[in-house]
Amino acid sequence: MVRLNHVSKEYRRDEAAVAALRDVSLRVAEGEFCALMGPSGCGKSTLLNIVAGLDHPTSGELFLEERPTSHLSDREWTGLRRSLIGMVFQSFHLLPTLTAEDNVALPLLLQGENGRSARRRAAESLARVGMEPRARHRPGELSGGEQQRVAIARALVHRPRLLLADEPTGNLDSRSGADVIALLQSLSKELKQTVLLVTHSQEAAYAADRLHTMRDGQLDGAT
Amino acid sequence: MLKALPIIARSHMVERPVRTAMTILGIALGVAVSVAIRTANVEVLRSFEEAVLTVAGRATLQVSGGELGLDERVIARLRNEPGVLSALPVVQQQAQVAALPHRGKPLVVMGLDLLDAADHRTFHLKTEAGTEPTLDPLLEPNAVFIGARLAEEWSLQAGSQIDLLVGTVTHRLVVRGVVESSTGVRTAWEHLAVMDIAAAQSLFGSIGKIDRIDLITDPAHPVEEVADAIKPRLPPPLTVRRPEQRNEQVERMVRAFQLNLATLSGVGLLVGLLLVYNTIAYSVVRHRREIGILRALGLSRLGITTLFVGEAAVMGLIGGVAGSLFGVLLANRLVLSLSRTVFDLYVPVRVAADGLASVTPALLIEGGLFGLVVAMLGACAPSMDASRTAPAQALAPGEYEDTQVFRAGPLAWFGGGCLVLAGLLALPGPVGGLSLFGYASAFCLLLGLSCLAPLLVYGVGTLVTGKDRAERRRVGALGLIAAEQIARAPGRNAVTVSALMVGIAIMIGVGIMIQSFRQTVEAWIDQTVMADLVVATPGWPTGEEGGMHAKRMPLAWAARAAAVPGVAAVDTYRDLTVEIAGRPVSLVSRDLRVHAERSRYLFVNGDSAELLPRTVTARGVVISEVLAGRLGVREGSMLTMMTPAGDRSFPVIGVFYDYATDGGKLVMDRSLYRTLWDDDTTTVIAVYLALGVEAGVVRQRLADAMGQVGQIVVIANREIKREILAIFDRTFAVTYALEFIAVAIALLGIVNTLLTSVLERQREMATLRAIGASAGQIRRLVLWEGLYLGLLGACLGVVGGVSLSFLLIHVINKQSFGWTIQFQFPVWLVVEGVALAVGAALVASYVPALWAARQPIVDGLRYE
Repeated sequence: MVRLNHVSKEYRRDEAAVAALRDVSLRVAEGEFCALMGPSGCGKSTLLNIVAGLDHPTSGELFLEERPTSHLSDREWTGLRRSLIGMVFQSFHLLPTLTAEDNVALPLLLQGENGRSARRRAAESLARVGMEPRARHRPGELSGGEQQRVAIARALVHRPRLLLADEPTGNLDSRSGADVIALLQSLSKELKQTVLLVTHSQEAAYAADRLHTMRDGQLDGAT
Repeated sequence: MLKALPIIARSHMVERPVRTAMTILGIALGVAVSVAIRTANVEVLRSFEEAVLTVAGRATLQVSGGELGLDERVIARLRNEPGVLSALPVVQQQAQVAALPHRGKPLVVMGLDLLDAADHRTFHLKTEAGTEPTLDPLLEPNAVFIGARLAEEWSLQAGSQIDLLVGTVTHRLVVRGVVESSTGVRTAWEHLAVMDIAAAQSLFGSIGKIDRIDLITDPAHPVEEVADAIKPRLPPPLTVRRPEQRNEQVERMVRAFQLNLATLSGVGLLVGLLLVYNTIAYSVVRHRREIGILRALGLSRLGITTLFVGEAAVMGLIGGVAGSLFGVLLANRLVLSLSRTVFDLYVPVRVAADGLASVTPALLIEGGLFGLVVAMLGACAPSMDASRTAPAQALAPGEYEDTQVFRAGPLAWFGGGCLVLAGLLALPGPVGGLSLFGYASAFCLLLGLSCLAPLLVYGVGTLVTGKDRAERRRVGALGLIAAEQIARAPGRNAVTVSALMVGIAIMIGVGIMIQSFRQTVEAWIDQTVMADLVVATPGWPTGEEGGMHAKRMPLAWAARAAAVPGVAAVDTYRDLTVEIAGRPVSLVSRDLRVHAERSRYLFVNGDSAELLPRTVTARGVVISEVLAGRLGVREGSMLTMMTPAGDRSFPVIGVFYDYATDGGKLVMDRSLYRTLWDDDTTTVIAVYLALGVEAGVVRQRLADAMGQVGQIVVIANREIKREILAIFDRTFAVTYALEFIAVAIALLGIVNTLLTSVLERQREMATLRAIGASAGQIRRLVLWEGLYLGLLGACLGVVGGVSLSFLLIHVINKQSFGWTIQFQFPVWLVVEGVALAVGAALVASYVPALWAARQPIVDGLRYE
């Protein structure tokens, strides 16, 4: 599903180049729940952003479903995010003025799906994460765990085959964090989704089928 | 702690350089317009004053006979008056150059006693050799001395010939030298022509008559005392006054006109003020955590207010100084246009190209202060808001806008109160001829509507994003997010909406007024300018002539015109400026019986065909509504005025609508006029054609027949109408320019608001991109927001504009100028206003939209 081939990423700050990823090669099979763990600044979020097409490698190649991505345009990446990829963020990134239902329906509405159908599917997605009763609430009225559930519902609403989760438990207490990881785990099994999880929580990482550790922009190894 | 404030304020300004620059630009534009109008207004009056006072020289009093001149024998009588040292005769004739390359350009010819002039005037004459002229060339019949600057501009030198058209005759003059200012500075003398008075009288055919007498009085006698002593001995209707009084009179005449422009130019400042409000309000929101920290560190409430007001003050000062520089450039363009309007409507005034305003330290200080005050006023409310926020509250996100939502209600009540007050202020009359309450009413109207804006923004946003699913579906996902974004910050967005509202309201309000006025004038012309052809002197259509010999033809020429085959009737129309109650009034004498049969006046009460013959039999007058309003007379009253035969009273038979002059018009029958005024000339001859004749043919016949006796032009009815409307359009050209600038500043507000909104929502935009929004959708989202702002501004603007047009038509213009304007509602103007607001809002949103769509997604997701 995901293959990184000698991917490196450098950022230029003034005259100096800072390497965020160094020659990373990684393969995540279809339906696999894969976790990346490492300390802050090790490059794991950069790796996830590259897989989502939010950032691009300085060298090396990313393959999604065995197709190279280096030549993809912004429009084609947008298309991939609408169909193939779903994303969950540490800070939830819900739009504060929209209700939970509207937030979840948003990816579908942005694709041009009609409102009725989008909201029906949003309600289904919310039901899947156990948030249907809170559909009419705005983010400010929900707890952190609830907000992350809504964010997961939003990431799943368009049935992506690849779910990318960037520190989904980072802003949650341990109990809520465990709930969210359990939810991701069960959904991955139920929907046969490939999940790439970035975390520095060991509990979260252990839920994965495979765990990679990262340090200074490089993959240390896998368990 | 206070010492840290400049550092913090500077960091705020540098943090968002584009926003800071746009705010400064907004202030600069507002100040520029205000400075430009003020400078141009002052410059026009100063040019007039300079011309009057320079030419007057050492003269402390002037005896004038008005347009008909006076008998030169009065001089001898005046020379013997106690307190009078010298009495200097003057012939002052404004002519037109008759031949190329300067054909049509005006030239003032001063006929003076040149042997005496050097002692009393501030110029000297110079021959080509650079010496003083000898007696012979000085007194030569056709010799003229041209102002040095003018001679240079027109490339004239000794021996050059110059043909001048005066009335119906072209005169050839020979340049014998130049006129130079003897004070060392450039004065009006350098743009005039000077010749010997006897030669001028002979040349212009007015032996024994002069325009005025300049008196030099003994410093030992107070000038007023000498004037009082002379007055009773002068034959009517001669006047004696100080040269400065002429200037004061003009100042009074143009006061309402200039106040109108100055007020309109103030709109730019008002919109600039809203822009500052917006910038500072947003700075307060953005730095609320900083406010909390500073308060926690011990900075007082006053310190917080000072911080934000100081930030605005710096922007105001920079904008004000920049604005005054730009204002001077603008003034130099405006002054020519304004002087043309003052020339068309009031008095001949010319602004020399080298007499324009320049940048002075005083002007820069003035502009800087303007900007400072506007910016500080604009910053007051948000800065005080910031200071009132408790430190804990300041540290909590979202509180500021939330409190503003709750304030939208009370603010709307206040706005409603302002609207009621606006209505009440429209009721009282003018103060000293100025519609001060009317302007206050217009201000309250715009203030009231501005205060309703937050409620409207919040209400519409809530409506669109509310529970009505049908409505939500209709606007789509982007429309929904945009509406919620607008409603989320009603304070910031309402100010932008208000700024746009003010711009659009002024545009629609003034536009409706001008259109209504224009249509009223058009209808008035159609109904009252009925003569098929008009025979006039060549200088009459352009208005470029003035003086005793200009714009007049012998009355006997009317008979020659009447004898032309195809002419059914002629009416002689004599237009003379006289003074009533200290202000110039147009005195028209004509054959009222012919006018009653062939044409009409539009009377406020009664019918023209009945009133005009009655005016003849009653030896009365009919007067324009402007004059009636100013003098407080009505039908049946007696009107007293000074005539050459002494004070006379006339019954006022009717009051008619007239839009030709601002000073007012008085009409009497030609027979009555001739018994009182020693004047057997006519300004124009109105010609009515017989039925079925070809106008073009008769026009040619008239030109041929009249051309044998003098230089005339024959003008067709439609050409006169066109010229009147051209003057009308010229008068309001400046108004359109001012409106345009107000709208431009409002647009800066939209760019400012949207750009900031986009900056602040980078994370939100990035999230949308991450969950599948395309760059195009992000662009459209920002454009949606611009569209909402534009639509809301347009809606309020239409309400404000239509209300304002009522105020302008029925209160401000009526009180300032006395004209009755029929209200017309040009739907296209409203459509144009709405289209402009929405279109401009979309254009203004485009740059922020492009910017938003181009931002890296990863940066946005990291953004806090």
